[in-house]
Amino acid sequence: MEDVPLFVLGLIASSIVAAAIGVLYSLVLPGIERKVQARIQQRIGPPILTPGFWSVLKFGYKKRVDPNAQMPRLYRSLVYFGIGIVVLLFLFTTPYWWAVLGWGSILGIAGLLKLEEVLYVLMGSQSQSFLSTGMPVPDIAKGSKHIGIKREFVEQHSGERALKMMAIGSLPLYLALLVPFAMAKSTMIRSVVAMQNPGYIMSSSWLSAPLPSSPVLFTLPGVLAAIVYFVGYVMLLNEKPFSILKAKIDLIEGGVLEYASKLRAYYYIMRNVLMFALSSIFVTLFIGIPFDPFMPVMMVLNLALSLLLPIMLAALVAFSPILTFRQIYPAAIGLSAIGVLALIISLGV
Amino acid sequence: MTSGEKRVEIEKELSFGPVHPALIEPYRIRLFVNDEIVEDCELNINMAYRGIEKLFDGLPVERALLIAERVCGICSHVHAWNSVRVIEGGLKIDVPPRANYIRVITQEMQRITSHLILFGHAFEVVGHETFAMRSFLLRESFMDLISYVGGNRVMPSVPIIGGIRPRADLTESLKRVILERIDEFEEKYKGYVARIIEDPLVMSRLTGIGFLTKEDAIKFHATGPTGRASGWDYDVRTKMDEYKPFDFNVITDESCDTKARIVVRALEIFESLKIIRQAVKNLPEGPVVNRSWRAEEMDFTTALLEAYRGELMHSYGLDSQGRIRNYKIRTPTPTNLAAMEHACIGDHVTEAILTIASCDPCLTCCTRAEIVDSGKSFVLSDLEIIRKYGWRK
Repeated sequence: MEDVPLFVLGLIASSIVAAAIGVLYSLVLPGIERKVQARIQQRIGPPILTPGFWSVLKFGYKKRVDPNAQMPRLYRSLVYFGIGIVVLLFLFTTPYWWAVLGWGSILGIAGLLKLEEVLYVLMGSQSQSFLSTGMPVPDIAKGSKHIGIKREFVEQHSGERALKMMAIGSLPLYLALLVPFAMAKSTMIRSVVAMQNPGYIMSSSWLSAPLPSSPVLFTLPGVLAAIVYFVGYVMLLNEKPFSILKAKIDLIEGGVLEYASKLRAYYYIMRNVLMFALSSIFVTLFIGIPFDPFMPVMMVLNLALSLLLPIMLAALVAFSPILTFRQIYPAAIGLSAIGVLALIISLGV
Repeated sequence: MTSGEKRVEIEKELSFGPVHPALIEPYRIRLFVNDEIVEDCELNINMAYRGIEKLFDGLPVERALLIAERVCGICSHVHAWNSVRVIEGGLKIDVPPRANYIRVITQEMQRITSHLILFGHAFEVVGHETFAMRSFLLRESFMDLISYVGGNRVMPSVPIIGGIRPRADLTESLKRVILERIDEFEEKYKGYVARIIEDPLVMSRLTGIGFLTKEDAIKFHATGPTGRASGWDYDVRTKMDEYKPFDFNVITDESCDTKARIVVRALEIFESLKIIRQAVKNLPEGPVVNRSWRAEEMDFTTALLEAYRGELMHSYGLDSQGRIRNYKIRTPTPTNLAAMEHACIGDHVTEAILTIASCDPCLTCCTRAEIVDSGKSFVLSDLEIIRKYGWRK
């Protein structure tokens, strides 16, 4: 019991360091993603810091614009909830959080990811921008073949799509997440890391850099699960080809359309941290290198390897069209099948 | 709705506009949908009215050309050419063969740029930015060539009444440059088309959506590549004297879907390259302009031309001082609009916008007149305006 204050102190210190480094680092990732994408398209692309860092700073200084949402306070608060959820999600890659109330498990990660998905449904149902039904165009005065039909905001349609994506789109990601836990025969992150990197669990020196001896990524179920995880990562980030929630061609930006000025800056932070958190979780669970603020080498390794998924994402985005539900449903079913196969093999291993 | 038609329950209406964020065109789309499926579609234009036909009234015919070219930035040459074809037909003005060849060369160059713009827009709507940007990159070769010929990239101002501007005449070195550039372009373009066709994700987005049967294409008078992609082999170029010296095929496709509209345009670019090669290699010697004409009273005369999106009509008359009366322009877009509305039905919401872009992504040229009377606004067709207000004298 004497260790409890020390643990709490360590938890607070590691959380502050991890959150600060994580948020700052996540602001660089969109720039790298956009640069890679631009190079593929034979463009120069924006400076690395512009899309993530400078745009957030710029929106922070813009004049406040109040959303026209049905419940503006709730709509505004959703983005703060979002930041809280994704930062907490990222903190699960730090060892101190593995012991907090048993949250450092598959349940904690999956639960927070599901909450993050629910946010898009709520954002979509709340937002009411002037870009569709709210536009002062005399539609009704002009007459129509169809009279008395419910007129819906594009954001509400985005909310409905978010619900569909919640139901089927993100399923592959959760299946892929299960694989390392199934291989470790435990629900705890600590066991998954210990299975791949026993040297890290036993190490006590803050300068040491124990490398994983048997990463999940280098096994057959690991490779299959990694592929599924990557596609699920794209789905959860609402990026092409699975960006149907915010398809510019019909829904413009979807539920986040009304986030302007500071709220837009916070939304960018939320999205960027999610991008980094999911990458960092991948490195922790599939390679066995956690983000340990008290072991700088491990931390740097985690940061460096966390670039893998955003770079792959950039290449995919550059070469992909937006898929509609005609393609998303079969793709999600196919990926889920691969995820189930990886799970079955991993149980055998 | 007639008694024979099946009544469809509509769940909700989704509307976009008056400026669509992806197509960046001033129109409002109202989609009546059940879940994701479009059950009906309304395209409302008249979000931007320029009154360009009114500007022509009373102008000396030579000056009309400058305005006609500005009806559309993508189709500038075709409007300028058709504008002069009206008076050349009405007053029987001979055009030197060399001038006709250079008009055709410019026309086909701009057709290529227009089709490439459509690819750019269509792939942006599909969400494939790389193909969209590659399309705009390829287009640059022809934008440069148009500026070499006419002096400007967007408004080359090549035709004048009786021929072409002398500065647009092709020198031997320019002929060589055109032939070299189109060879280079063709090589790159073949690779581009092959990559599109071999991309299963892109093909899955294009295939089997936006159906428009041949009967419907004819019914709505969806001319140009939109109609040809429904198997209707209607191309005004086959009836034009200016195109008689050239060997080219009218590309049609029986698939009737969005993919067909893209494929028809992709193959038409090869036909345009063929025409340009023939025209440059066989360019006749001689003058490029016939100045022996004078503007005099002319009956209301009509000229048709195959614009890049379909059949284009210009018509006007001249008074005794050679000033324009009753200028009328019917671009291909108004007739394509009805086809677009029809083709959207049954598709997903996201696909409906793609169907519209594949038919015609540029709609500004079609808005004509809006009459505001006692606080109510009416959109009238040309015929309705004539019936209600009579011919302007």
